[in-house]
Amino acid sequence: MNTRSTILPVTCALLMLAACAKPPTEQIVAAEKAVTEAQQSGASTYVADDYAKVEGTLAALKKEVSDQDGKLALFRDYGKAEQLAAAAKSEAERVKTEASKKKEEAKAAALQAQQVAQEAVTATLALVAKAPTGKDRAALESIKADAEALKASLNQVQMAIDAADYPTAQTKAIAIHEKSQAVSKEIETALAKIGKGKPSATKKK
Amino acid sequence: MPGCCPRVTSIVLGWGALALAGLLAGCVEAVPQDAIEAVENIDRDLMQLRAAEFSPNDYAQFTHQWMALKSRVQADEDLIRWPWEPNDLENALRQLQEEGSHTVSRLTKEREVLRHSAKSKIAQVEDRSRMMTVQVSAIDSRLVLGQKPVETDLLMKQAHAFYEQGQYDRSLDAADRAAQNLDSQAVLLNHEFGRYANRGQITGWQQMAKDTITWSRIHRTSAIVVSKADRVLTLYRNGQKVISYPVRLGFNGIREKRYQGDGATPEGRYRISRKRGQGQTQFYRALVLDYPNEEDRRRYRLERKTGQIPASRAIGGQIEIHGVENELMAQTLGCVMLDNPQMVLLFDRVDKGTPVTIVGALHEQNSVAQTLAVLGVQREET
Repeated sequence: MNTRSTILPVTCALLMLAACAKPPTEQIVAAEKAVTEAQQSGASTYVADDYAKVEGTLAALKKEVSDQDGKLALFRDYGKAEQLAAAAKSEAERVKTEASKKKEEAKAAALQAQQVAQEAVTATLALVAKAPTGKDRAALESIKADAEALKASLNQVQMAIDAADYPTAQTKAIAIHEKSQAVSKEIETALAKIGKGKPSATKKK
Repeated sequence: MPGCCPRVTSIVLGWGALALAGLLAGCVEAVPQDAIEAVENIDRDLMQLRAAEFSPNDYAQFTHQWMALKSRVQADEDLIRWPWEPNDLENALRQLQEEGSHTVSRLTKEREVLRHSAKSKIAQVEDRSRMMTVQVSAIDSRLVLGQKPVETDLLMKQAHAFYEQGQYDRSLDAADRAAQNLDSQAVLLNHEFGRYANRGQITGWQQMAKDTITWSRIHRTSAIVVSKADRVLTLYRNGQKVISYPVRLGFNGIREKRYQGDGATPEGRYRISRKRGQGQTQFYRALVLDYPNEEDRRRYRLERKTGQIPASRAIGGQIEIHGVENELMAQTLGCVMLDNPQMVLLFDRVDKGTPVTIVGALHEQNSVAQTLAVLGVQREET
Protein backbone atom coordinates (compact mmCIF):
# COMPACT_ATOMS: atom_id res chain seq x y z
CA MET A 1 0.00 0.00 0.00
CA ASN A 2 1.61 3.24 -1.07
CA THR A 3 1.50 6.47 0.94
CA ARG A 4 -0.81 8.27 -1.50
CA SER A 5 -3.49 5.65 -1.15
CA THR A 6 -3.42 6.08 2.65
CA ILE A 7 -3.43 9.91 2.82
CA LEU A 8 -6.28 10.41 0.37
CA PRO A 9 -9.01 8.59 2.30
CA VAL A 10 -7.90 10.09 5.60
CA THR A 11 -7.98 13.61 4.14
CA CYS A 12 -11.40 12.97 2.61
CA ALA A 13 -12.71 11.69 5.93
CA LEU A 14 -11.38 14.76 7.75
CA LEU A 15 -12.90 17.09 5.16
CA MET A 16 -16.23 15.33 5.46
CA LEU A 17 -16.10 15.60 9.23
CA ALA A 18 -15.33 19.30 9.00
CA ALA A 19 -18.13 19.81 6.49
CA CYS A 20 -20.53 18.18 8.95
CA ALA A 21 -19.78 20.71 11.81
CA LYS A 22 -23.11 21.91 13.26
CA PRO A 23 -23.93 24.64 15.81
CA PRO A 24 -24.33 23.38 19.40
CA THR A 25 -28.10 24.02 19.34
CA GLU A 26 -28.91 22.12 22.51
CA GLN A 27 -26.22 23.92 24.53
CA ILE A 28 -27.37 27.26 23.14
CA VAL A 29 -31.00 26.54 24.09
CA ALA A 30 -29.85 25.43 27.55
CA ALA A 31 -27.80 28.62 27.97
CA GLU A 32 -30.74 30.79 26.86
CA LYS A 33 -33.05 28.97 29.27
CA ALA A 34 -30.59 29.48 32.13
CA VAL A 35 -30.34 33.21 31.33
CA THR A 36 -34.15 33.55 31.20
CA GLU A 37 -34.43 31.80 34.56
CA ALA A 38 -31.77 34.10 36.01
CA GLN A 39 -33.74 37.10 34.78
CA GLN A 40 -36.96 35.71 36.26
CA SER A 41 -35.23 35.23 39.61
CA GLY A 42 -34.68 38.98 39.78
CA ALA A 43 -31.05 38.97 38.67
CA SER A 44 -31.45 42.20 36.69
CA THR A 45 -32.43 43.90 39.98
CA TYR A 46 -30.36 42.17 42.62
CA VAL A 47 -27.14 41.33 40.72
CA ALA A 48 -27.45 43.72 37.82
CA ASP A 49 -23.72 43.80 36.96
CA ASP A 50 -23.35 40.04 36.80
CA TYR A 51 -26.59 39.62 34.92
CA ALA A 52 -25.52 42.18 32.31
CA LYS A 53 -22.31 40.18 31.79
CA VAL A 54 -24.27 36.96 31.34
CA GLU A 55 -26.38 38.69 28.74
CA GLY A 56 -23.15 39.92 27.14
CA THR A 57 -21.81 36.37 27.00
CA LEU A 58 -25.06 35.19 25.44
CA ALA A 59 -24.81 37.94 22.83
CA ALA A 60 -21.20 36.94 22.14
CA LEU A 61 -22.35 33.34 21.73
CA LYS A 62 -25.00 34.32 19.21
CA LYS A 63 -22.52 36.41 17.27
CA GLU A 64 -20.00 33.58 17.24
CA VAL A 65 -22.63 31.15 15.91
CA SER A 66 -23.68 33.70 13.32
CA ASP A 67 -20.03 34.25 12.27
CA GLN A 68 -19.48 30.53 11.90
CA ASP A 69 -22.76 30.09 10.04
CA GLY A 70 -21.55 32.70 7.56
CA LYS A 71 -18.44 30.73 6.69
CA LEU A 72 -18.15 28.00 4.07
CA ALA A 73 -19.24 24.68 5.53
CA LEU A 74 -15.70 23.38 5.18
CA PHE A 75 -14.26 26.05 7.47
CA ARG A 76 -16.94 26.14 10.19
CA ASP A 77 -15.80 25.55 13.75
CA TYR A 78 -18.28 25.75 16.62
CA GLY A 79 -15.78 24.92 19.32
CA LYS A 80 -15.68 28.49 20.63
CA ALA A 81 -19.50 28.66 20.51
CA GLU A 82 -19.66 25.54 22.66
CA GLN A 83 -17.31 27.11 25.19
CA LEU A 84 -19.38 30.30 25.27
CA ALA A 85 -22.62 28.34 25.65
CA ALA A 86 -21.18 26.40 28.55
CA ALA A 87 -19.83 29.59 30.16
CA ALA A 88 -23.16 31.44 29.70
CA LYS A 89 -25.12 28.55 31.20
CA SER A 90 -22.91 28.04 34.25
CA GLU A 91 -22.62 31.78 34.88
CA ALA A 92 -26.40 32.24 34.50
CA GLU A 93 -26.98 29.48 37.04
CA ARG A 94 -24.55 31.11 39.47
CA VAL A 95 -26.21 34.52 38.94
CA LYS A 96 -29.65 32.97 39.48
CA THR A 97 -28.54 31.48 42.79
CA GLU A 98 -26.94 34.74 43.86
CA ALA A 99 -30.02 36.77 42.86
CA SER A 100 -32.36 34.42 44.71
CA LYS A 101 -30.19 34.72 47.80
CA LYS A 102 -30.08 38.52 47.66
CA LYS A 103 -33.80 38.71 46.94
CA GLU A 104 -34.54 36.55 49.97
CA GLU A 105 -32.26 38.74 52.08
CA ALA A 106 -34.07 41.88 50.86
CA LYS A 107 -37.44 40.25 51.52
CA ALA A 108 -36.40 39.20 55.02
CA ALA A 109 -35.15 42.73 55.77
CA ALA A 110 -38.40 44.25 54.48
CA LEU A 111 -40.53 41.82 56.49
CA GLN A 112 -38.55 42.52 59.63
CA ALA A 113 -38.88 46.28 59.12
CA GLN A 114 -42.60 45.77 58.50
CA GLN A 115 -43.01 43.88 61.77
CA VAL A 116 -41.11 46.54 63.72
CA ALA A 117 -43.28 49.25 62.12
CA GLN A 118 -46.48 47.32 62.90
CA GLU A 119 -45.48 46.96 66.53
CA ALA A 120 -44.65 50.67 66.78
CA VAL A 121 -47.98 51.68 65.22
CA THR A 122 -49.87 49.30 67.51
CA ALA A 123 -48.13 50.89 70.51
CA THR A 124 -49.00 54.37 69.21
CA LEU A 125 -52.66 53.45 68.71
CA ALA A 126 -52.76 51.98 72.21
CA LEU A 127 -51.47 55.28 73.57
CA VAL A 128 -54.14 57.17 71.61
CA ALA A 129 -56.79 54.88 73.09
CA LYS A 130 -55.60 55.84 76.57
CA ALA A 131 -56.34 59.50 75.89
CA PRO A 132 -59.27 60.89 77.91
CA THR A 133 -62.55 61.59 76.14
CA GLY A 134 -64.58 64.78 76.21
CA LYS A 135 -63.17 68.25 76.32
CA ASP A 136 -59.62 67.20 77.12
CA ARG A 137 -59.48 65.12 73.99
CA ALA A 138 -59.39 68.16 71.75
CA ALA A 139 -55.63 68.57 72.03
CA LEU A 140 -55.14 64.99 70.87
CA GLU A 141 -57.35 65.16 67.80
CA SER A 142 -54.54 65.98 65.37
CA ILE A 143 -52.27 63.36 66.94
CA LYS A 144 -55.05 60.82 66.48
CA ALA A 145 -55.22 61.74 62.80
CA ASP A 146 -51.47 61.13 62.54
CA ALA A 147 -51.77 57.74 64.23
CA GLU A 148 -54.54 56.75 61.83
CA ALA A 149 -52.38 57.87 58.92
CA LEU A 150 -49.55 55.65 60.13
CA LYS A 151 -51.92 52.70 60.38
CA ALA A 152 -53.10 53.32 56.81
CA SER A 153 -49.49 53.60 55.59
CA LEU A 154 -48.79 50.05 56.75
CA ASN A 155 -50.97 48.92 53.83
CA GLN A 156 -48.53 50.57 51.45
CA VAL A 157 -45.70 48.53 52.95
CA GLN A 158 -47.68 45.35 52.36
CA MET A 159 -48.46 46.43 48.80
CA ALA A 160 -44.75 47.00 48.10
CA ILE A 161 -43.93 43.56 49.56
CA ASP A 162 -46.65 41.98 47.43
CA ALA A 163 -45.12 43.67 44.38
CA ALA A 164 -41.67 42.33 45.44
CA ASP A 165 -40.44 45.93 45.70
CA TYR A 166 -38.54 45.22 48.89
CA PRO A 167 -36.34 48.37 48.97
CA THR A 168 -39.47 50.56 48.89
CA ALA A 169 -41.20 48.37 51.48
CA GLN A 170 -38.19 48.54 53.79
CA THR A 171 -37.66 52.31 53.56
CA LYS A 172 -41.38 52.90 54.02
CA ALA A 173 -41.54 50.62 57.05
CA ILE A 174 -38.52 52.29 58.63
CA ALA A 175 -40.09 55.71 58.00
CA ILE A 176 -43.34 54.55 59.64
CA HIS A 177 -41.42 53.21 62.62
CA GLU A 178 -39.54 56.50 63.11
CA LYS A 179 -42.67 58.60 62.69
CA SER A 180 -44.65 56.33 64.97
CA GLN A 181 -42.09 56.74 67.73
CA ALA A 182 -42.22 60.52 67.28
CA VAL A 183 -46.03 60.51 67.47
CA SER A 184 -45.94 58.28 70.57
CA LYS A 185 -43.60 60.73 72.25
CA GLU A 186 -45.92 63.58 71.28
CA ILE A 187 -48.89 61.71 72.77
CA GLU A 188 -47.05 60.99 76.00
CA THR A 189 -46.18 64.67 76.32
CA ALA A 190 -49.79 65.68 75.62
CA LEU A 191 -51.12 63.07 78.04
CA ALA A 192 -48.76 64.28 80.73
CA LYS A 193 -50.11 67.80 80.22
CA ILE A 194 -53.83 67.12 79.98
CA GLY A 195 -53.69 64.47 82.66
CA LYS A 196 -53.69 67.39 85.08
CA GLY A 197 -57.14 68.50 83.88
CA LYS A 198 -60.52 67.04 84.80
CA PRO A 199 -62.56 65.09 82.26
CA SER A 200 -65.34 67.05 80.62
CA ALA A 201 -68.97 66.39 81.48
CA THR A 202 -70.60 68.11 78.51
CA LYS A 203 -71.00 66.02 75.40
CA LYS A 204 -72.63 68.11 72.70
CA LYS A 205 -70.65 70.60 70.57
CA MET B 1 42.67 33.58 7.50
CA PRO B 2 41.69 30.04 8.33
CA GLY B 3 40.00 30.88 11.66
CA CYS B 4 37.99 33.72 10.20
CA CYS B 5 35.10 31.71 8.68
CA PRO B 6 34.04 29.88 11.80
CA ARG B 7 34.11 33.15 13.77
CA VAL B 8 31.98 34.96 11.19
CA THR B 9 29.64 32.02 11.09
CA SER B 10 29.29 32.00 14.85
CA ILE B 11 28.64 35.79 14.89
CA VAL B 12 26.04 35.44 12.17
CA LEU B 13 24.44 32.52 13.97
CA GLY B 14 24.51 34.42 17.26
CA TRP B 15 22.80 37.49 15.81
CA GLY B 16 20.40 35.26 13.96
CA ALA B 17 19.49 33.44 17.17
CA LEU B 18 19.02 36.77 18.93
CA ALA B 19 16.81 38.05 16.10
CA LEU B 20 14.78 34.85 16.16
CA ALA B 21 14.40 35.04 19.93
CA GLY B 22 13.29 38.64 19.57
CA LEU B 23 10.81 37.70 16.90
CA LEU B 24 9.49 34.81 18.96
CA ALA B 25 9.24 37.02 22.02
CA GLY B 26 7.15 39.48 19.96
CA CYS B 27 4.84 36.63 19.04
CA VAL B 28 4.12 35.34 22.55
CA GLU B 29 1.95 38.15 23.79
CA ALA B 30 -1.03 38.20 21.41
CA VAL B 31 -2.83 40.81 23.52
CA PRO B 32 -0.96 43.07 25.91
CA GLN B 33 -2.02 42.49 29.49
CA ASP B 34 -2.35 46.23 30.12
CA ALA B 35 -5.08 46.51 27.45
CA ILE B 36 -7.12 43.83 29.23
CA GLU B 37 -6.51 45.36 32.64
CA ALA B 38 -7.56 48.78 31.36
CA VAL B 39 -10.94 47.42 30.22
CA GLU B 40 -11.31 45.53 33.50
CA ASN B 41 -10.72 48.81 35.33
CA ILE B 42 -13.38 50.50 33.23
CA ASP B 43 -15.76 47.67 34.12
CA ARG B 44 -14.98 48.18 37.81
CA ASP B 45 -15.64 51.92 37.48
CA LEU B 46 -18.96 51.23 35.78
CA MET B 47 -19.92 48.80 38.52
CA GLN B 48 -19.03 51.37 41.18
CA LEU B 49 -21.28 53.82 39.36
CA ARG B 50 -23.97 51.12 39.43
CA ALA B 51 -24.28 51.60 35.71
CA ALA B 52 -26.22 48.35 35.34
CA GLU B 53 -28.97 49.83 37.56
CA PHE B 54 -28.90 53.48 36.60
CA SER B 55 -27.98 53.26 32.93
CA PRO B 56 -28.71 49.66 31.91
CA ASN B 57 -28.49 50.35 28.18
CA ASP B 58 -25.02 51.86 28.44
CA TYR B 59 -23.79 49.03 30.63
CA ALA B 60 -25.37 46.38 28.39
CA GLN B 61 -23.64 47.90 25.36
CA PHE B 62 -20.31 47.85 27.19
CA THR B 63 -20.66 44.32 28.55
CA HIS B 64 -21.79 42.93 25.20
CA GLN B 65 -18.59 44.19 23.61
CA TRP B 66 -16.46 43.25 26.63
CA MET B 67 -17.76 39.69 26.78
CA ALA B 68 -17.26 39.27 23.04
CA LEU B 69 -13.68 40.50 23.29
CA LYS B 70 -13.03 38.48 26.41
CA SER B 71 -14.00 35.31 24.60
CA ARG B 72 -11.66 36.28 21.77
CA VAL B 73 -8.87 36.99 24.29
CA GLN B 74 -9.33 33.56 25.81
CA ALA B 75 -9.41 31.92 22.38
CA ASP B 76 -6.38 33.91 21.16
CA GLU B 77 -4.22 33.07 24.17
CA ASP B 78 -2.26 30.31 22.41
CA LEU B 79 -2.04 31.96 19.02
CA ILE B 80 1.30 33.11 17.70
CA ARG B 81 1.21 36.42 15.97
CA TRP B 82 4.00 38.02 14.05
CA PRO B 83 4.91 41.50 15.26
CA TRP B 84 4.16 43.03 11.89
CA GLU B 85 0.70 41.54 11.77
CA PRO B 86 -2.07 43.97 12.80
CA ASN B 87 -3.53 43.04 16.19
CA ASP B 88 -7.28 43.57 15.70
CA LEU B 89 -8.10 42.29 19.15
CA GLU B 90 -5.80 44.76 20.88
CA ASN B 91 -7.20 47.57 18.75
CA ALA B 92 -10.73 46.54 19.66
CA LEU B 93 -9.82 46.44 23.36
CA ARG B 94 -8.20 49.88 23.18
CA GLN B 95 -11.28 51.22 21.43
CA LEU B 96 -13.58 49.69 24.07
CA GLN B 97 -11.41 51.20 26.78
CA GLU B 98 -11.75 54.62 25.16
CA GLU B 99 -15.51 54.29 24.70
CA GLY B 100 -15.84 52.93 28.23
CA SER B 101 -13.87 55.90 29.60
CA HIS B 102 -16.29 58.27 27.88
CA THR B 103 -19.22 56.32 29.32
CA VAL B 104 -17.70 56.43 32.83
CA SER B 105 -17.11 60.15 32.49
CA ARG B 106 -20.62 60.81 31.18
CA LEU B 107 -22.31 58.62 33.78
CA THR B 108 -20.26 60.24 36.56
CA LYS B 109 -21.53 63.65 35.44
CA GLU B 110 -25.11 62.41 35.02
CA ARG B 111 -25.03 60.81 38.45
CA GLU B 112 -23.69 63.98 40.00
CA VAL B 113 -26.44 65.99 38.32
CA LEU B 114 -29.03 63.49 39.61
CA ARG B 115 -27.53 63.62 43.10
CA HIS B 116 -27.64 67.40 43.06
CA SER B 117 -31.24 67.38 41.78
CA ALA B 118 -32.31 64.98 44.53
CA LYS B 119 -30.53 67.02 47.21
CA SER B 120 -32.07 70.30 45.97
CA LYS B 121 -35.52 68.80 45.68
CA ILE B 122 -35.35 67.35 49.19
CA ALA B 123 -34.26 70.72 50.61
CA GLN B 124 -36.94 72.54 48.61
CA VAL B 125 -39.77 70.20 49.64
CA GLU B 126 -38.61 70.21 53.26
CA ASP B 127 -38.67 74.01 53.34
CA ARG B 128 -42.12 74.00 51.85
CA SER B 129 -43.31 71.32 54.25
CA ARG B 130 -41.99 73.29 57.24
CA MET B 131 -43.71 76.42 55.96
CA MET B 132 -46.94 74.48 55.43
CA THR B 133 -46.78 73.19 59.02
CA VAL B 134 -46.18 76.66 60.42
CA GLN B 135 -48.93 78.26 58.32
CA VAL B 136 -51.44 75.50 58.99
CA SER B 137 -50.71 75.60 62.74
CA ALA B 138 -51.17 79.36 62.73
CA ILE B 139 -54.73 78.97 61.52
CA ASP B 140 -55.37 75.75 63.51
CA SER B 141 -56.31 73.77 60.44
CA ARG B 142 -54.08 70.71 60.75
CA LEU B 143 -57.08 68.41 61.04
CA VAL B 144 -58.47 69.56 57.71
CA LEU B 145 -55.48 67.94 56.04
CA GLY B 146 -56.28 64.54 57.55
CA GLN B 147 -53.57 61.98 56.85
CA LYS B 148 -51.73 64.03 54.26
CA PRO B 149 -49.10 65.64 56.53
CA VAL B 150 -47.99 62.21 57.74
CA GLU B 151 -47.90 60.89 54.17
CA THR B 152 -45.64 63.80 53.21
CA ASP B 153 -43.42 63.15 56.21
CA LEU B 154 -43.07 59.46 55.36
CA LEU B 155 -42.23 60.24 51.74
CA MET B 156 -39.54 62.68 52.83
CA LYS B 157 -38.05 60.09 55.17
CA GLN B 158 -37.97 57.69 52.22
CA ALA B 159 -36.37 60.35 50.03
CA HIS B 160 -33.62 60.75 52.63
CA ALA B 161 -33.12 56.99 53.00
CA PHE B 162 -32.80 56.48 49.23
CA TYR B 163 -30.43 59.44 49.00
CA GLU B 164 -28.19 57.94 51.67
CA GLN B 165 -28.20 54.65 49.75
CA GLY B 166 -27.08 56.48 46.60
CA GLN B 167 -30.38 55.73 44.90
CA TYR B 168 -30.84 59.29 43.72
CA ASP B 169 -33.54 58.52 41.16
CA ARG B 170 -35.72 56.88 43.82
CA SER B 171 -34.91 59.70 46.22
CA LEU B 172 -36.01 62.26 43.63
CA ASP B 173 -39.16 60.28 42.93
CA ALA B 174 -40.11 60.16 46.63
CA ALA B 175 -39.41 63.90 47.01
CA ASP B 176 -41.51 64.61 43.91
CA ARG B 177 -44.40 62.64 45.35
CA ALA B 178 -44.03 64.54 48.63
CA ALA B 179 -44.22 67.80 46.66
CA GLN B 180 -47.38 66.55 44.93
CA ASN B 181 -48.80 65.69 48.33
CA LEU B 182 -48.10 69.25 49.50
CA ASP B 183 -49.85 70.51 46.35
CA SER B 184 -52.92 68.49 47.24
CA GLN B 185 -52.80 69.91 50.78
CA ALA B 186 -52.78 73.43 49.37
CA VAL B 187 -55.73 72.53 47.12
CA LEU B 188 -57.59 71.07 50.08
CA LEU B 189 -56.97 74.18 52.17
CA ASN B 190 -58.17 76.37 49.30
CA HIS B 191 -61.28 74.27 48.96
CA GLU B 192 -62.03 74.40 52.70
CA PHE B 193 -61.04 77.98 53.40
CA GLY B 194 -61.34 79.71 50.03
CA ARG B 195 -64.28 81.67 51.45
CA TYR B 196 -61.85 83.55 53.73
CA ALA B 197 -60.32 85.00 50.57
CA ASN B 198 -63.67 85.55 48.86
CA ARG B 199 -64.56 89.23 48.68
CA GLY B 200 -68.31 88.55 48.47
CA GLN B 201 -68.23 86.31 51.50
CA ILE B 202 -66.20 88.81 53.50
CA THR B 203 -68.62 91.59 52.53
CA GLY B 204 -71.42 89.39 53.85
CA TRP B 205 -69.60 88.84 57.15
CA GLN B 206 -68.86 92.56 57.44
CA GLN B 207 -72.57 93.27 56.95
CA MET B 208 -73.49 90.78 59.70
CA ALA B 209 -71.09 92.50 62.12
CA LYS B 210 -72.36 95.93 61.06
CA ASP B 211 -75.98 94.89 61.65
CA THR B 212 -75.09 93.64 65.13
CA ILE B 213 -73.29 96.88 66.01
CA THR B 214 -76.24 98.89 64.64
CA TRP B 215 -78.61 96.80 66.76
CA SER B 216 -76.47 97.57 69.81
CA ARG B 217 -76.65 101.30 68.99
CA ILE B 218 -80.40 101.33 68.34
CA HIS B 219 -81.24 99.30 71.44
CA ARG B 220 -78.60 101.03 73.54
CA THR B 221 -77.31 97.73 74.84
CA SER B 222 -74.43 95.24 74.51
CA ALA B 223 -73.51 93.07 71.55
CA ILE B 224 -70.62 90.72 70.78
CA VAL B 225 -68.83 90.10 67.50
CA VAL B 226 -66.34 87.24 67.16
CA SER B 227 -63.94 87.08 64.21
CA LYS B 228 -62.67 83.51 63.79
CA ALA B 229 -59.75 84.40 61.46
CA ASP B 230 -58.48 87.05 63.89
CA ARG B 231 -59.43 85.01 66.97
CA VAL B 232 -60.83 88.13 68.54
CA LEU B 233 -64.01 88.77 70.48
CA THR B 234 -65.18 92.39 70.55
CA LEU B 235 -67.73 93.74 72.98
CA TYR B 236 -69.89 96.69 71.81
CA ARG B 237 -72.06 98.95 73.95
CA ASN B 238 -74.49 101.42 72.38
CA GLY B 239 -72.86 100.72 69.02
CA GLN B 240 -69.40 101.59 70.32
CA LYS B 241 -66.51 99.24 70.72
CA VAL B 242 -65.79 98.68 74.41
CA ILE B 243 -63.01 96.11 74.42
CA SER B 244 -61.50 93.23 72.44
CA TYR B 245 -60.22 89.95 73.84
CA PRO B 246 -58.17 87.22 72.21
CA VAL B 247 -60.05 83.92 72.04
CA ARG B 248 -59.38 80.25 71.36
CA LEU B 249 -61.71 78.26 69.13
CA GLY B 250 -62.59 74.63 68.48
CA PHE B 251 -59.87 72.21 67.37
CA ASN B 252 -61.33 72.64 63.89
CA GLY B 253 -62.48 76.15 64.67
CA ILE B 254 -61.76 77.82 61.34
CA ARG B 255 -64.04 75.39 59.56
CA GLU B 256 -67.74 75.99 59.16
CA LYS B 257 -69.66 73.97 61.75
CA ARG B 258 -71.73 71.24 60.16
CA TYR B 259 -72.42 68.56 62.76
CA GLN B 260 -71.73 67.39 66.29
CA GLY B 261 -68.14 66.50 67.08
CA ASP B 262 -66.53 68.18 64.06
CA GLY B 263 -64.63 70.57 66.34
CA ALA B 264 -65.74 73.57 64.27
CA THR B 265 -66.96 76.84 65.72
CA PRO B 266 -70.27 77.91 64.14
CA GLU B 267 -70.73 81.12 62.16
CA GLY B 268 -73.99 83.05 62.37
CA ARG B 269 -76.22 85.33 64.39
CA TYR B 270 -76.85 83.99 67.87
CA ARG B 271 -78.02 85.19 71.25
CA ILE B 272 -76.98 84.35 74.77
CA SER B 273 -79.63 81.89 75.92
CA ARG B 274 -78.28 81.30 79.41
CA LYS B 275 -75.61 82.58 81.76
CA ARG B 276 -73.79 79.99 83.86
CA GLY B 277 -72.04 81.51 86.83
CA GLN B 278 -69.42 80.08 89.13
CA GLY B 279 -70.34 76.53 90.19
CA GLN B 280 -72.75 76.13 87.26
CA THR B 281 -70.08 75.28 84.69
CA GLN B 282 -66.77 73.47 84.65
CA PHE B 283 -65.35 76.29 82.53
CA TYR B 284 -65.22 78.98 85.22
CA ARG B 285 -68.11 81.00 83.70
CA ALA B 286 -70.08 80.35 80.53
CA LEU B 287 -72.46 82.16 78.18
CA VAL B 288 -74.57 79.55 76.40
CA LEU B 289 -75.50 80.43 72.81
CA ASP B 290 -78.71 79.45 71.05
CA TYR B 291 -76.87 77.29 68.53
CA PRO B 292 -78.28 75.75 66.39
CA ASN B 293 -80.43 78.55 65.06
CA GLU B 294 -82.96 78.17 62.25
CA GLU B 295 -80.35 78.82 59.54
CA ASP B 296 -78.05 76.14 61.06
CA ARG B 297 -80.91 73.64 61.14
CA ARG B 298 -81.89 74.36 57.53
CA ARG B 299 -78.32 73.87 56.28
CA TYR B 300 -77.88 70.73 58.37
CA ARG B 301 -81.10 69.18 57.00
CA LEU B 302 -80.06 69.98 53.43
CA GLU B 303 -76.56 68.54 53.79
CA ARG B 304 -77.85 65.44 55.49
CA LYS B 305 -80.46 64.99 52.76
CA THR B 306 -77.79 65.26 50.08
CA GLY B 307 -75.54 62.81 51.92
CA GLN B 308 -72.85 65.39 52.75
CA ILE B 309 -73.41 64.69 56.45
CA PRO B 310 -73.56 61.05 57.59
CA ALA B 311 -76.97 59.98 58.91
CA SER B 312 -75.39 59.04 62.25
CA ARG B 313 -74.25 62.61 62.91
CA ALA B 314 -76.42 64.94 64.99
CA ILE B 315 -76.37 68.71 64.60
CA GLY B 316 -74.71 69.28 67.99
CA GLY B 317 -75.19 72.02 70.56
CA GLN B 318 -73.88 73.41 73.85
CA ILE B 319 -71.88 76.07 72.05
CA GLU B 320 -70.69 78.55 74.62
CA ILE B 321 -68.42 81.46 75.26
CA HIS B 322 -66.59 80.22 78.30
CA GLY B 323 -63.53 80.45 80.48
CA VAL B 324 -60.69 78.02 80.91
CA GLU B 325 -61.10 74.71 82.69
CA ASN B 326 -57.48 73.69 82.32
CA GLU B 327 -54.76 76.23 81.59
CA LEU B 328 -52.97 73.70 79.38
CA MET B 329 -55.98 73.30 77.09
CA ALA B 330 -55.21 75.05 73.82
CA GLN B 331 -58.43 74.42 71.94
CA THR B 332 -62.11 73.69 72.54
CA LEU B 333 -64.56 71.30 70.92
CA GLY B 334 -66.23 74.18 69.06
CA CYS B 335 -66.80 76.87 71.71
CA VAL B 336 -65.21 80.30 72.07
CA MET B 337 -62.82 80.32 75.02
CA LEU B 338 -61.42 83.32 76.90
CA ASP B 339 -58.90 83.53 79.69
CA ASN B 340 -60.68 83.58 83.05
CA PRO B 341 -59.91 87.21 84.08
CA GLN B 342 -61.35 88.41 80.76
CA MET B 343 -64.26 85.99 80.98
CA VAL B 344 -65.38 87.41 84.28
CA LEU B 345 -65.30 90.96 82.85
CA LEU B 346 -67.33 89.93 79.82
CA PHE B 347 -69.72 87.84 81.90
CA ASP B 348 -70.63 90.84 84.01
CA ARG B 349 -71.24 93.12 81.00
CA VAL B 350 -73.72 91.01 79.06
CA ASP B 351 -77.21 89.61 79.67
CA LYS B 352 -79.38 86.78 78.51
CA GLY B 353 -80.52 87.79 74.99
CA THR B 354 -77.35 89.72 74.10
CA PRO B 355 -76.64 89.16 70.40
CA VAL B 356 -73.45 87.28 69.53
CA THR B 357 -72.42 87.33 65.89
CA ILE B 358 -69.67 84.93 64.88
CA VAL B 359 -68.06 85.54 61.48
CA GLY B 360 -65.20 84.03 59.54
CA ALA B 361 -63.32 87.27 58.93
CA LEU B 362 -63.88 91.01 58.90
CA HIS B 363 -61.28 92.13 56.38
CA GLU B 364 -59.73 90.77 53.20
CA GLN B 365 -56.19 90.62 54.59
CA ASN B 366 -57.17 88.11 57.26
CA SER B 367 -54.80 85.44 58.56
CA VAL B 368 -56.46 82.60 56.65
CA ALA B 369 -56.45 84.47 53.33
CA GLN B 370 -52.80 85.36 53.87
CA THR B 371 -51.93 81.74 54.59
CA LEU B 372 -53.67 80.61 51.41
CA ALA B 373 -51.80 83.25 49.44
CA VAL B 374 -48.42 82.17 50.85
CA LEU B 375 -49.13 78.49 50.15
CA GLY B 376 -50.36 79.34 46.65
CA VAL B 377 -47.12 81.16 45.83
CA GLN B 378 -45.06 78.26 47.18
CA ARG B 379 -47.02 75.84 45.07
CA GLU B 380 -46.23 77.83 41.95
CA GLU B 381 -42.54 77.98 42.86
CA THR B 382 -42.04 74.21 43.21
